[in-house]
Amino acid sequence: MNGVFPIAREELRLWLRSRLAFSALLVFALLLTATSVLTALRMSAEQQQRTGQQALAEETFLSQPDRHPHRMVHYGHYVFRVPPPLSVVDPGVDAVTGQSMFLEGHRQNTAMFADAGAGANLGGFDDLTAALVYQLFVPLLLIAMGHGLIVREREENTLAPLLAQNVTGVMLCLGKWIALAGVALVLLLPLFVMTALAAARGESLLTSAGLIGIYALYSLVWCSLILLVSALVRHRGLGLGILALFWLGAVLIVPRTAVESASTVVPAEGKLETDLRMQAELRAVGDGHNAGAPQFMRLRANLLAQYDVERVEDLPVNFRGVVAEVNEADVTDVLNKYAGERMALEARQARFAESFGWLSPVVAVSAGSRALSGTDLATHHRFLRKAEEVRFDFVQGLNRVHVEQLDYTIDINRSIDTASERLTRMSAENWNVLDEFSFEAAPASERLTRAAPALTMLSAWFLLLTAAVVFASRRIRP
Amino acid sequence: MVDSDKAASGSQARTSRESSHNKAPVLAAESLGIVRSGRQVLKDVTFRIAPGEIHALLGGNGAGKSTTLLTFLGFLTPASGGVQVQGRDVGKNLNEVRRAIAYLPEAASLYGHLNAYENLGYFLALAGTDLDREALDEALDRVALQPGARGMRMQTYSKGMRQKVAIALAILRDTPILLLDEPTSGLDPVAIDDFNRLVRDLADTGRTILLVTHDVYGACHVADRIDLLQNGELVGAFDRPPGMDRIDTEAVHEAFAGRAAA
Repeated sequence: MNGVFPIAREELRLWLRSRLAFSALLVFALLLTATSVLTALRMSAEQQQRTGQQALAEETFLSQPDRHPHRMVHYGHYVFRVPPPLSVVDPGVDAVTGQSMFLEGHRQNTAMFADAGAGANLGGFDDLTAALVYQLFVPLLLIAMGHGLIVREREENTLAPLLAQNVTGVMLCLGKWIALAGVALVLLLPLFVMTALAAARGESLLTSAGLIGIYALYSLVWCSLILLVSALVRHRGLGLGILALFWLGAVLIVPRTAVESASTVVPAEGKLETDLRMQAELRAVGDGHNAGAPQFMRLRANLLAQYDVERVEDLPVNFRGVVAEVNEADVTDVLNKYAGERMALEARQARFAESFGWLSPVVAVSAGSRALSGTDLATHHRFLRKAEEVRFDFVQGLNRVHVEQLDYTIDINRSIDTASERLTRMSAENWNVLDEFSFEAAPASERLTRAAPALTMLSAWFLLLTAAVVFASRRIRP
Repeated sequence: MVDSDKAASGSQARTSRESSHNKAPVLAAESLGIVRSGRQVLKDVTFRIAPGEIHALLGGNGAGKSTTLLTFLGFLTPASGGVQVQGRDVGKNLNEVRRAIAYLPEAASLYGHLNAYENLGYFLALAGTDLDREALDEALDRVALQPGARGMRMQTYSKGMRQKVAIALAILRDTPILLLDEPTSGLDPVAIDDFNRLVRDLADTGRTILLVTHDVYGACHVADRIDLLQNGELVGAFDRPPGMDRIDTEAVHEAFAGRAAA
């Protein structure tokens, strides 16, 4: 196998001396570096901005004056999904799922988006993330550089003298593969720097290494594919055409088909129909603002019996507060049921779409990249669940203040009696029921588990293509 | 079977190489048949080349000359018969066979982005040979490549200059066997004479040379023996008579042209 490294070295020398290949490499390196820096700057700014907004939202809530606790329930609170450190590589679904949410009583609001100004400054160029460059454009560069690896030797009649030097087809292919893989791995340097920075900002080393690993594996898949095609075809133009078609299919057609077929195979009920069903269930639960509603008669009777009194005014707790508390729990059960169903359905659709990674390595790597970066749909769902936990806790905390600290008689007279209204204003210290919200992506082990299917698919791609290369290399003839 | 020995009947006497023919052949094709893309390109070809002999396969385009060389290199598998190099079956001893052979392809196929030294260094490294600049210069001197051109990229070379570097590579490989495919194609008459002398020198140092060509004049001047190949079959053979410095060009030309016309 002595000839392997001279072959690799020679291929690299050819690229360095070829103005076209060298220029393409240089342009891509610049594009990659520029995109990486811009993505890193944008996501760092987003991180800082959202962290600041989160702190401001908490400060604003806590600085509210004394008032009726239920007014605070409706005053509400904002939570922000601070992007994880590895989002500097792959912002994932961040831009399309909303990054903040308004939390209030009896409702689960949808996530909202950042202000348009944040994304408009760079004229849309910021949409080109480092992850996209690695997923879509690095393969193009590898195709441009590597499509002639073997077929060029054939076309320029250098294959026969090469093989006549006792170089086997396997050695030739291995040498060429090492050269192309060397270029691919050098192109991963910006990724290495970004993940190192993310690790320095608290990201797990495991996920950082996993992200580098998955992109390295993805690049090697393309190296093997390019080498295989170059070994099989008789003309460079044909090889380039086949690889360009594969790229188009892998980058555009298969992902688009995956998304379309996911919504067909795993159909989702329309929002209107779902909302109508949910509203019907919520009506059955009752409106917690109306303690006299028939839905709360049994609660009223139970409480009176429990405390052995005749009238709600004689209860040691505020009946309206109890109704608000119980109703909040019941409403939340309904809301959580629908939210759970929606998230499960979205997850099923995502899993189905991701299974197209068996047909396109681009689909596999993008799924794995988002999972490892903590910017996938599962992370968004995790944000929704964490936000809901915060919402439910602070609303119920305020309801508990309503139950325990606010006299029922004063409470019902607050609309007709100014003095009573003043007495219903609870101390602002009670607003401390609000927990600090600090969203973090799932732990490294969980993200690695989520990325496992993508890693499996890419490994299968790599092994199959490499086996095919070995098979083809044994049949290389001048 | 059309054997070169049989085909030689009626041609010139072949006593001059009797002694070497009695030795074990370095290269031998026995009833060789090759089929490529469903077409029979070699049919029942038999010849043996003794050590130190210069053997030319003469034929027109598509006669099967280059195919014969590729078969000795193990790039093609015989459909019938077989080829042997130094007594070894080529298909079963590919590594040993290729180590023993230096091959000069038809189009002087070297890399345009490399200079002469880099080309030689690369191919020699692949063959497991590491030679210094002095040795390379010595070989390039032998093929008379101008020193000023040696450091220039070969994409600026003429066809003849590239051919000289390829010949230098064959010399530097220092193998007992040389397979030369149209080695004088593209060379000027002076360079052809120089090349013929070089080939003769190499044969005199014990190397066995099989060259394929359609150049009747060149083959008659350099070869000890010529086999005439037409449509994949051996149709005639000529030996250099004792005491003569070349094979009778007119006889070969007549046979070649006559066969071609037929």
